Amino acid sequence: MTPPEDKDPEPPSLEKRQWQAGRKPGDRSVRIVRPGGDQFRRDAGHYVATDAVFTEKGPLGKAWSKVTRLLVGRRLTTESEGEERVSVATGLPILASDNISSSAYATEEAMRVLAIAGVAALSLTMPIAIAVVAVLAIVVLSESRVIRAYPNGGGSYLVARENHGTIAGLVAAAALLIDYVLTVAVSTAAGVAAIASFVPEVHDVRVPLALALIALLTLGNLRGVREAGLLFAAPTYAYMAAMFGLIGFGIFRIATGDIPAPAHSESPFPDAGAQALTTLLILRAFASGSVGLTGSEAVANGVPSFRKPEPRNAIITLVLMGTIFSTIFLGLTFLATTIGVRPDQHEAETVNSLLTRSIVGDGSPFYYFVQIATAIILLLAANTGFTGFPRLASVLSNDRFMPRHFADMGSRLAFNTGIVALAAVAGLVLTAFGGSVTALVPLYTIGVFLAFTLSQSGLVRRWWRLRDRGWQLSMVLNSVGAIVTGVVLVVVAYTKFEHGAWMVIVVLPFIVGILYATHVHYRDVHDALVLEDLSVPIPEMRPPVVIVPVARIDRAALQAVAFARSISKSVKAVHISTTDESAKEFERRWARWSPDVKVDVILSPYRSLVVPLLKYIDAIDKSDDRPITVVIAEFVPRHWWEWLLHSQTATRLKAALLFRPNTIVIDVPYHFEDTADLARRR
Amino acid sequence: MQPKRILVAVAGTSVDPDVIRHAVTLAKPGKAEVIAVHVIEVRWNMPLDAVLEPELDHGEELLANAAKVAEQAGLRIETELLQAREAAAAIIDTARERAADLVIIGMPYRTRLGRVHVGRTVQNVYVGAPCAVLAYRQEAPQ
Repeated sequence: MTPPEDKDPEPPSLEKRQWQAGRKPGDRSVRIVRPGGDQFRRDAGHYVATDAVFTEKGPLGKAWSKVTRLLVGRRLTTESEGEERVSVATGLPILASDNISSSAYATEEAMRVLAIAGVAALSLTMPIAIAVVAVLAIVVLSESRVIRAYPNGGGSYLVARENHGTIAGLVAAAALLIDYVLTVAVSTAAGVAAIASFVPEVHDVRVPLALALIALLTLGNLRGVREAGLLFAAPTYAYMAAMFGLIGFGIFRIATGDIPAPAHSESPFPDAGAQALTTLLILRAFASGSVGLTGSEAVANGVPSFRKPEPRNAIITLVLMGTIFSTIFLGLTFLATTIGVRPDQHEAETVNSLLTRSIVGDGSPFYYFVQIATAIILLLAANTGFTGFPRLASVLSNDRFMPRHFADMGSRLAFNTGIVALAAVAGLVLTAFGGSVTALVPLYTIGVFLAFTLSQSGLVRRWWRLRDRGWQLSMVLNSVGAIVTGVVLVVVAYTKFEHGAWMVIVVLPFIVGILYATHVHYRDVHDALVLEDLSVPIPEMRPPVVIVPVARIDRAALQAVAFARSISKSVKAVHISTTDESAKEFERRWARWSPDVKVDVILSPYRSLVVPLLKYIDAIDKSDDRPITVVIAEFVPRHWWEWLLHSQTATRLKAALLFRPNTIVIDVPYHFEDTADLARRR
Repeated sequence: MQPKRILVAVAGTSVDPDVIRHAVTLAKPGKAEVIAVHVIEVRWNMPLDAVLEPELDHGEELLANAAKVAEQAGLRIETELLQAREAAAAIIDTARERAADLVIIGMPYRTRLGRVHVGRTVQNVYVGAPCAVLAYRQEAPQ
């Protein structure tokens, strides 16, 4: 018996045409019916999947879709990407909050190093702050050149790759990826430290709290860039208001001769230093203070997030960021050194908190406003990592240096894989370092300065190569930028080496290696798969030899055998029996059923089902040069938990055959129907 | 009379959103079903079931917009796309087949020789529909 064949069957279509008779012969009409309902609509000659395709039917699916909608928001179409872009006002909190927030702890980080040489050494904090601000000014100027030269974003990675080659680009990318992870870890740790300054009980649970905050930020970012910006705008501006208010009031008190008495923490650094004030210590203090420069690369990397004209808006944001950071950093440093605040040895209270207490007094509402605003901005600074990492990862993924999932946009046009991966790695790092800011800071800044140096020197080469209008000024600016950031890089790496910077130096080449290896894999796969010559005809394939493993004669087997016969005339069933009796019984039943398909019954005295089956397929393959197709009957229960009650031989067999060369595996699922359903069908 | 099934003809004119909103207003109290129908008129020199890509795209867009307007007004409606030689005949036949008890058809405000012009389709539906017909004439421009 040969399978029935349709004569010139219509190819399947999403559109059916039904003829309808009218009252008169000329009134006939054609109804255009969509079997899929409103799930697909036509547009410019092709079909577009509408949001109806995501409509869930089952109660579990409906509940899940409600939960995700509540947490992440409704789906956005790719066309609405333009609306998701940010203005300067919302871009500042998203991309510059990291840099601006660094002003909350940059002074303290420099002071903590200087205090090792005694309290007298703290007078050097202000000159160090001025040096840091000078470096920032150079960085801002040279980064504005990066934005003009590369308006499509990509930042340091793209600049370094285009001008220094792939490896340099990957070094810059790896450095930035590490830095973004550390931005999240350091910022949340610093945010929790700020909370612990006025709620000391928090100190003991700082790691779980920081992890919970990372989870919250992850959720916020999964909602998309624009919403994240709107969510984070108010706290950023509140921090700026708090800091300008504090600095203004502090300077007013000092100017009017009412210099506040310094507030003291529980264990301040002692007057006498533990070691002498050496050049190395000063350089280390400078390196720690340069933590304030982190985050300044995020604007250049995120140019495509801005509304049009993107480069102009990005440069305005960059300049605003530099100005705001410098004002707060210099202001706080001036006040801290003039009033004489000493950092706490055990990080129990921040310098920021001590300074605010000194100026406005203990328990003042303004003190709490400053502390809360600081805690929130430090947490939001982590958001710069959430903006930068996924975008850079997507650029790397598009260039085939990272897995392709990193380039996929989620339902809210955010790079979900990058966001989740960043949260996971940052959470691990934070836990490993016990949530301590001081332990994490030495790891920080190396990446960013390495990326700066590579991109600045890359631009120098670019200007030299292109020599377009005004190239001399650009070249001078970027040369100064490259030298300054290069010097800072060496200083940071040298002074922080034994305090943890070595870890970054070890991890960096490892990441570069992984990125490169990923690229090699994708390149090989591309070479193996790509079809450049589209005139190649579709090859004629001979009908395959079809093997149908049959566990028992039932409806599932019936369906699988029927399907096997529809694709080839050469079909063989195979049954594995564990006992002689069951083998004989199967043969008897097969003979009674008598389909025009031959069966091989194999006795497996060692009770294994899959291995003898695989060896049987190998043997058939050797005896016949036609391609092998295995048609597997698979029973599908109604509920997921019912899977546990079945042996899943089909699943195991599919898994075993997946890597077998030249083998086509076809799964014929048989969905559970109870006797009532079957009776209805009859 | 409280209609139970309303057929709305969507022609792609500026009056369409008003017609849909009006249909929803009429449908809501009696929980009536609303079907928006658009007819692609196929010229006699072409087969009736010809695949007319631009017209199909346009028709789908009109019906999708109609469904969106109705949803904004608070009702999910059904849509139907047809190809026929003459729109009026197809609307009348669909009204009969779907047992509609009201057909609403929009008339954009157009004048010819100083008088309001009533199009061929509106006239034919008005005359031939088996059920009540409501011709919704657009407001005259100020």
